Amino acid sequence: MTSTTDSGSLDAYRIAEEPYYRPTGDEVALYEAAYAGRLPMMLKGPTGCGKTRFIEHMAWRLGRPLITVSCHEDMTASDLVGRYLLEPEGTVWHDGPLTRAVRFGAICYLDEIVEARQDTTVVIHSLTDDRRVLPLEKKNELVTAHPDFQLVISYNPGYQSVLKDLKESTKQRFCALDFRYPNAAIEVEIVAREAGLDPQQAAKVVRIAERSRNLRGHGLEEGASTRMLIHAGKLVARGVPLGEACEIALVLPITDDPDMRDALGHAIAASL
Amino acid sequence: MAEDSKPFLKLVSDEDSTTMQQDKGLQMLFPEPYMAPWLRACRRIEGAGYGEAVTRAYERHGIACAQAIGPDAAIDLADAVSAVAIKSGRKAAETLCEAAAMTARRLGELPRFRNWLSLMQRFAAMAPESAWVVLQRMKFLLGQLNVSALESWLLAGVRLAGGDSERRYAFFTMENPDAERWLLREAGDLVFADVERRMKAYLAALFGIRVPMVEPSASAPEASRRRSSFGAGIIRLPQSYPGYRGQRCEDVFRAALAHAGAHMTYGGPRYPIGQLKPLQVSLVSLIEDARVERLAMRDFPGLARLWLPFHIAQASGAETAPSLFARLSRALIDPDFHDPSAWVRKGREMFNDLGGELDNPAMSRHIGNLLGNDLGQMRVQFNAKTYVVEPPYRDDNMGLWDFGEENTVDEEVEVVLDSARLEQRDDQEPDREREEEEEEPQDDSESAPLARETLADQGIPVARYPEFDYQTGRERSEWTTVVEYDPPAGAPQLVPRILERHAALANRISGLIRSARVSRAQRLKRQPDGEALDLDACIEAAVSLRRGEMPDTRVYQRMERRQRDLAVQVVLDVSQSTADQVPGSGSTILDLEREATVLLAHAMAELGDPFAISAFCSNGREEVRYTRIKEFERSFATEAHARLAGLAPAYSTRMGAALRHAAADLQRQRSYRRLVLLLTDGEPSDVDCPERRYLIEDARRAIHGLAARGIDVFCVALGRGHEEALNRVFGRRNLLHIDRIERLPEKLPLLYMRLTA
Repeated sequence: MTSTTDSGSLDAYRIAEEPYYRPTGDEVALYEAAYAGRLPMMLKGPTGCGKTRFIEHMAWRLGRPLITVSCHEDMTASDLVGRYLLEPEGTVWHDGPLTRAVRFGAICYLDEIVEARQDTTVVIHSLTDDRRVLPLEKKNELVTAHPDFQLVISYNPGYQSVLKDLKESTKQRFCALDFRYPNAAIEVEIVAREAGLDPQQAAKVVRIAERSRNLRGHGLEEGASTRMLIHAGKLVARGVPLGEACEIALVLPITDDPDMRDALGHAIAASL
Repeated sequence: MAEDSKPFLKLVSDEDSTTMQQDKGLQMLFPEPYMAPWLRACRRIEGAGYGEAVTRAYERHGIACAQAIGPDAAIDLADAVSAVAIKSGRKAAETLCEAAAMTARRLGELPRFRNWLSLMQRFAAMAPESAWVVLQRMKFLLGQLNVSALESWLLAGVRLAGGDSERRYAFFTMENPDAERWLLREAGDLVFADVERRMKAYLAALFGIRVPMVEPSASAPEASRRRSSFGAGIIRLPQSYPGYRGQRCEDVFRAALAHAGAHMTYGGPRYPIGQLKPLQVSLVSLIEDARVERLAMRDFPGLARLWLPFHIAQASGAETAPSLFARLSRALIDPDFHDPSAWVRKGREMFNDLGGELDNPAMSRHIGNLLGNDLGQMRVQFNAKTYVVEPPYRDDNMGLWDFGEENTVDEEVEVVLDSARLEQRDDQEPDREREEEEEEPQDDSESAPLARETLADQGIPVARYPEFDYQTGRERSEWTTVVEYDPPAGAPQLVPRILERHAALANRISGLIRSARVSRAQRLKRQPDGEALDLDACIEAAVSLRRGEMPDTRVYQRMERRQRDLAVQVVLDVSQSTADQVPGSGSTILDLEREATVLLAHAMAELGDPFAISAFCSNGREEVRYTRIKEFERSFATEAHARLAGLAPAYSTRMGAALRHAAADLQRQRSYRRLVLLLTDGEPSDVDCPERRYLIEDARRAIHGLAARGIDVFCVALGRGHEEALNRVFGRRNLLHIDRIERLPEKLPLLYMRLTA
């Protein structure tokens, strides 16, 4: 393990190829404006609607490295900011992903922020107001953010757990973009492009997705996401019949409830 | 009118020691509009001369029916008892009462119970000698069969015997082995209830339609009981389609729902019935069926595979109206079907020619009328009374037509209209007063139980509590009187209906609770002991050691399941101000409090937390009205539902006394944590307290007192305007303002879970 104090290591986080993203509104312009002001951003929306793809696309567009951290419930503040580790020559400080982004000017994307414990999330407070500093308590250092640094979080309201929610004081530090599943025409375009499918077939897949989204909150936690549609589309593109592709990509993953499977299965059959 | 009370008095005077309780119980079972009919029914049974045993059985089991599914059941039972007594004799009538009580408990809802009752009446007429045998075995039979299967089985027995009463008797005593065989067959039949959930999901998935689905009412004509029907936000489905079994049966349900869904999605407004003849009505409906199906198949081509197999009309055969209709239906949906009939061909051509106008509902009317005229000229007879729509998955077409009159408000639409009716009942004060006047003589007829009854109506003073005067800094002992009231019982169906309306939210709550309950145990880090090392803590400890510091010895972690041990008393403010409309929602504050409470109770019951619900308002210090809606040891069931539905806004908000009284109950709960959750729309106030600060300070004092006894109080304040006062009472941390009151029902359960996590 090497000490990560050289900025060259951020090159690994640069995105060379343009990630495909199909804007559904003016979110690209809005984000660019927010970045220009280095405003912390919150991306809201259901799973698989394109939040992560969007931030990758924006990082590429702005030419900034992107450091992504997937938050989980055991994550501690030191997992973000760094810790002392033991090495043969003594204790050595290792920057965490957040500290690295702050020091060297990356976009730091904290995915599914509510999964992290609340005491963990407060470390971002000083970075998200006009101070833009990150205190490393244990190291007794105050890191001033690089001018390129920006903090972005994703946040799925609702279906994580009511017991977990962002503190009001955290929420109020962010500007937010709300992501939805794109409207049918755009979604067809996305599925066709990503799965390499002809638009007619893609349109059928999208129509089928509509069926499962109708069941949201009535037996299903969430309808089929755009990501799932792309999966189904990829299967179809490889020669799997549409019905079966939908079954394995759209129905079986989202529910184990036999009634819901039956209902969805027949609704799909009706759409074919 | 005094006579009315005879059986009733007799009933209570039988057991003197418990008269008061019974009496009160009876009032609960038969709230005001029902008491008089119930008494009349008792008198009628007694007066009919079926004998003492029948009278007693009716009274006793009628009450049991009322307990199980409400007063209507008990009152309806009287007709059935009379009918059965006349046809099959006293023994059968007596057994009917007993079986009815059992059936009411088992079926658990009025419509099915009514179906059962009407079935028993019909059966007693068909097989008088066997009625009491069957009634005796009712518990066994209903254990095997639902009501519609029971009907099939009874009919099977009647048919098999072919009018021979001895053979009938042998069948129903199960001496005939055929009885057993038929029983098994009927029991295996698929009925809608078995697949209801998946069918609802199917309709929701296809068209995004979520409506209640119920059985056709027992009073509907035979023809419409065999077909589905839709209208007024409800779909009626027969419990089964005779002749279809297993998978095929599921397909009929699915086809019927897809068809009704197509009407609801692609149909236009109802056609005015005008001067149309039954023949024309049926034809226009038929064309409209084909039109919406064609539109649905444009969006969902797969539906053709679902619907087509049911079109089995053959091109040959007599040119009668039912046959021609079925053939036309098939010709319109099945391109490969060829019919020699000129009339059918003309219908299909017209329909296809107007294909461009498929989106226009007027097209159906146009074609239907023309075809109707042709049929008239062909002198084909049409009998509207015997006509049943074919194929079976299609609906009875009642939902397509506007009959002008409000004739749809029959029993059928009851489910939908109940809530409206509930409100009407509140408004019909004059009516109620008249009924009360009628009852009045009873009260005066020196009947002690009834006198006490009236007292209960006025409320029973149960406790006196001190009140705090901030100016003297002292509590004035025994200053307020809490009077407990039974609320007038409302319609208990309100609660399931609220849950239905908020199905998505209720599901979400259940899901969250389930995942919270079965979720992985929590990992506790930095523990002084435990089954695993906490790596972070170990590294830190090692680092500290190397630095020469004192390490933190808590380097273990362990998994632990957190136990909930919590009792909650929900207290609702039902002061007059809760009658205010919430702008933009069409509901009053109380309505929303009620909805929120239902969802909250749903959440608490799922969590398994013991909870109680009560409501309060006040009319001066001598009358702090307190209503127990649900007590800790009871379940949140019909009785509590009725009480919750019956709450009405009145008077003021003397919060301190109500909280002290609520705490007295909660105090007795043996839970680690005890919580009072108060829902209010204003600050403490009362008519006899002109000084605003006095009651605010008293409420604050009451909460301090509760806190000292280990009871937490949390307040949910609805609307703005009382921040200052409520902050003073509860403290900022124990108070949540909800500005958009219309969102209360969704917020409250979530708040509760967060609060108690």
